[in-house]
Amino acid sequence: MKGMTKMKFRGVAALSAVALAALTACGSGSPAGGGGEITVGLAISTLDNPYFVALKEGAEKAAAELGVKLTVVDAQNDATNQINQVQTFTTQGVKAIIINPVDSKQAAPAAKAAENANIPLVAVDRSVDGGKVVSEVASDNVQGGTLAAIELGRAASGEVVHLQGIPGASAARDRGQGFEQGLNSGGIKVVASQPADFNRAKGLDVMTNLLQANPGIKGVFADNDEMALGAIKALGDRAGKDVAVVGFDGTPDGLKAVEDGTMAATIAQQPDVLGRKAVEQAVKAARGEAVQEVVDVEVKVVTKKNVAEFKK
Amino acid sequence: MTTVASRKNVKVLSDNGALAGLLVLVVALSLLAPSFLTTQNLLNVGVQAAVVAVLAFGSTFVIVSGGIDLSVGSVAALSAMVGAWSSAEAGLPGPVALLLGLGTGVVAGLVNGALVSYGKLPAFIATLAMLSVARGLTLVVSQGSPTTTPDVVSFLGSNLTPYLPVPLLVMLVFFGITGFVLSRTYSGRAMYAIGGNEEAARLSGIDVRRQKLVIYALSGLFAAVAGMLLAGRLSSAGPQAAVGYELDAIAAVVIGGASLSGGVGRATGTLVGALVLAVLRNGLNQLQVSPFWQQVVIGAVIALAVLLDTLRRRTR
Amino acid sequence: MLLEARNIGKSFTGVRALDGVDFDVRPGEVHVLLGENGAGKSTLVKVLAGVHAPDTGTVERRGSLAVIHQELTLVPQLSVAENLFLGRPPRRFGIVDKARMREDAKALLDRVGLDVDPTTPVQDLGIAGQQMVEIARALSLNAQLLVLDEPTAVLTDTETDRLLDIMSELRAQGVGLVFITHHLDEIRRVADRITVLRDGRSVGTLPGTATVEHMIELMVGRTIDEQYPRRRTEPGEVLFKVEGLTRRGAFHDVSFHVRAGEVVGVAGLVGAGRTEVVRAAFGVDPYDSGTVEVAGRQVPRHDVQAAVRAGLGLVPEDRKGQGLVLTSTVADNLGLVTMKASTRAGLVDRRGQRERAAGMAKSLRVKASGLGQQVRELSGGNQQKVVIGKWLLADPRVLVLDEPTRGVDVGAKVEIYELVNRMTAAGRAVVLVSSDLPEVIGMSDRVVVMAHGRVAGELPGGTTQDKVMALAVQEFPA
Repeated sequence: MKGMTKMKFRGVAALSAVALAALTACGSGSPAGGGGEITVGLAISTLDNPYFVALKEGAEKAAAELGVKLTVVDAQNDATNQINQVQTFTTQGVKAIIINPVDSKQAAPAAKAAENANIPLVAVDRSVDGGKVVSEVASDNVQGGTLAAIELGRAASGEVVHLQGIPGASAARDRGQGFEQGLNSGGIKVVASQPADFNRAKGLDVMTNLLQANPGIKGVFADNDEMALGAIKALGDRAGKDVAVVGFDGTPDGLKAVEDGTMAATIAQQPDVLGRKAVEQAVKAARGEAVQEVVDVEVKVVTKKNVAEFKK
Repeated sequence: MTTVASRKNVKVLSDNGALAGLLVLVVALSLLAPSFLTTQNLLNVGVQAAVVAVLAFGSTFVIVSGGIDLSVGSVAALSAMVGAWSSAEAGLPGPVALLLGLGTGVVAGLVNGALVSYGKLPAFIATLAMLSVARGLTLVVSQGSPTTTPDVVSFLGSNLTPYLPVPLLVMLVFFGITGFVLSRTYSGRAMYAIGGNEEAARLSGIDVRRQKLVIYALSGLFAAVAGMLLAGRLSSAGPQAAVGYELDAIAAVVIGGASLSGGVGRATGTLVGALVLAVLRNGLNQLQVSPFWQQVVIGAVIALAVLLDTLRRRTR
Repeated sequence: MLLEARNIGKSFTGVRALDGVDFDVRPGEVHVLLGENGAGKSTLVKVLAGVHAPDTGTVERRGSLAVIHQELTLVPQLSVAENLFLGRPPRRFGIVDKARMREDAKALLDRVGLDVDPTTPVQDLGIAGQQMVEIARALSLNAQLLVLDEPTAVLTDTETDRLLDIMSELRAQGVGLVFITHHLDEIRRVADRITVLRDGRSVGTLPGTATVEHMIELMVGRTIDEQYPRRRTEPGEVLFKVEGLTRRGAFHDVSFHVRAGEVVGVAGLVGAGRTEVVRAAFGVDPYDSGTVEVAGRQVPRHDVQAAVRAGLGLVPEDRKGQGLVLTSTVADNLGLVTMKASTRAGLVDRRGQRERAAGMAKSLRVKASGLGQQVRELSGGNQQKVVIGKWLLADPRVLVLDEPTRGVDVGAKVEIYELVNRMTAAGRAVVLVSSDLPEVIGMSDRVVVMAHGRVAGELPGGTTQDKVMALAVQEFPA
């Protein structure tokens, strides 16, 4: 009986080892260590979203140029998962950690873990509330929301609707707040605000439903491009002609919609620049050089006029 | 003549708690939201119910046979992504890409079925593993970015005429298929026997293991169809598509009167269950209920619908 | 009087379950409630216990009442003591006082004559021991009235003896007992009075000394000439042959054969390996060595479908657990075995299946509101007829019946025996596994007796119980 369990355990252990080895082989980053080379850990909130994929790619490019190793882990939007991943980094000999918090308010334990291990921490895209970071690389979501409101006011006048992100998520809060602030400037009025969870399919359904109750709307602001693209689907021919849609993030699909004229504008956050700047700061910190406490990455309004600059 | 008909209607209602619940919802929303009871909006509800309904039809097979399939949302996303990728990236013709996507769903289902019947894994664990694997493979294939679907898939999300949306037709066709499979086919009848008493089914000479393969393969195929519908409506397959839809599917089946312990469940019940969820979401948007309260309301209605059904059975 | 029920009437959705029934219990008596399945016994018990309110009539109770059901309500993983005090353990300072719980448990177990350590998990006790624990628990709740609903249906003879002794003991202590059983010989040993129910009415109350014939006549409403109406047919070729069947730890070198038109009984004590052998032969469980043949052709090992195709059928011992799909209808259950054969291109011939089920239900006289009724709502005897019926529809060459009349009333028993006669008259072979000695002797042409997983010997039909028992207790060198 005992022998059996032992054998079973060995079997499981062997299997796990093989699986791990195989995964390491096909993953991009190899484990930390390695003579004198600097390794930076990047704990990303999710790779389910093209925006964060772009951020990761920007970081990888910068790392390659600077000659450092970058290990990327994906928390799959689970804050607890992310804390564990940062803790794991601290035991792997990384020289600096970049965190892209799943939630600003839940990232403090991760910051604490890095602090205890004396590893400099850089926050990217979202801040870490109540935690110590050497540098914060972010674009201002509130400002972006305000810019979106101004842009929507320019493109449309009359009743508009607001498609919100996941209720309670920080990006949804900040963008929504900025949007409200920017409303005074134009001739638009919000007649409905409903959540579509940053999701394209939900953006389509919610927009369809809102159109039933408010057929006469002239504009839509969505907290991200995915929802905006869903809304454009729901609007059909009306998108870009009689209803102006403004998104947020500047994802490839979003930029394409701006180019096609179905989306009036999107607020581009330049995720690749965010990733690049974060790596630059992290490497400086790892080498003991001076770092910039706050790095503001410009938020840009993308319209049909300047969309070409953003498309790669 | 009329009394007979109305008596029959009363019986249909009392036999099906979910249908009564759906009617209550519809009446309440018609009174509260002026734009609810319009042809266009009812068509919208049908279209919005379609994806979850097709997923739930597949789940009905599994739940009737006493199992559970948690992977349907992920399998839907993977199938759609494989379809879109085959066409957009690999350059295969649309119909071939569509078939590849559907095949992906069947294969995922077969793996689930094999793990459950031959691997003797609990269905909960086997399909939970597939939930993760299929979602991961979706990311691997897509590299995290949405991918444009071929025209044949986009057609599934379009309108034949302004009053004839394709998703609605697909939902009705699969409703018919589900009812037919459950009531007329050997596999369908075996589902009830296996779910009601697996040992008795085995001792009556039913090949339980093979039937389970068929059941999970069907669930995978239906998930793939749902994934195509979802992608078709957006003309794009997303890596994050259909996250959490498995729970909606299970809720729809259970609201429809099926028992999670197996042996009980019908296609009509599942259709009604999916419509309840869609009507609810549509109504909450139109009534502009606060986003924070929407989830509370949806959960409460699910519990209430099942509770009503349980009470009705108990008093019988 | 501890209990007095007058003029009880009760209907369920238009079906009259009880009609003007009078019933009472005095302190210190055993009052037997007798009747066929579906006669209204369970409904009456539920009315007495207050589960159902009667439509008409009154129930007066002095003292508390406890019902011991056939299906036990213990928690198998918990100890005897924990089960006895489930939900109300003796406490000290809010913490369970285990020492006192054990002592109190011991005292209760003594009262029912069960000699086990109170810390034993209930699942290790065996069904008889578990029943005693249930009775002890009822006594601990100061029940002055005890309703025992078919407790002996799942007990062996010695266990039944002990239960009847304990009932006499409790009667002496002034407890009033209501006893439901289908075993008429048990009634004669303990009953003070016997009330017979038929079709929801009380058809008479007899003294405990009443004859078996008298009881049956009241119960069935007609006289039954023979309890075991076996009609022999001339045996033909060997249809079923088990040769050297062995599974380590379960059974060893078991060989027997059955000819066409023959009934071979398999007798033995509980645990002798009878059920294990027939399950293995039918392909439900694997075996290590040996062969199984139907009509001269070997049946593959551990393959139920192959066994069914070869013409074997098995009515399993556990009706609800292995025989029936309780969530399905009478028609669906009857069609379970033949469903595959009636399938063309994946489609079941539902109309044909339904017609055949209707014919079978009629010929077996299954009492149900219709083919669409769920089998879970049927009485035990009718449920068993459905299980046998699904096999009769498949017309197997060899039908194995494992405890076919357990928990089945007298009238339905005789009907099941007639089905056995019908099978053998049609040239089929029947294997009858039964713990009911008079049944296995009365209905079999030959009796194979098993002991400790081996065949201890074979006896002709109509042999005596003593001869069977002598073989059944035989010891084998290890």
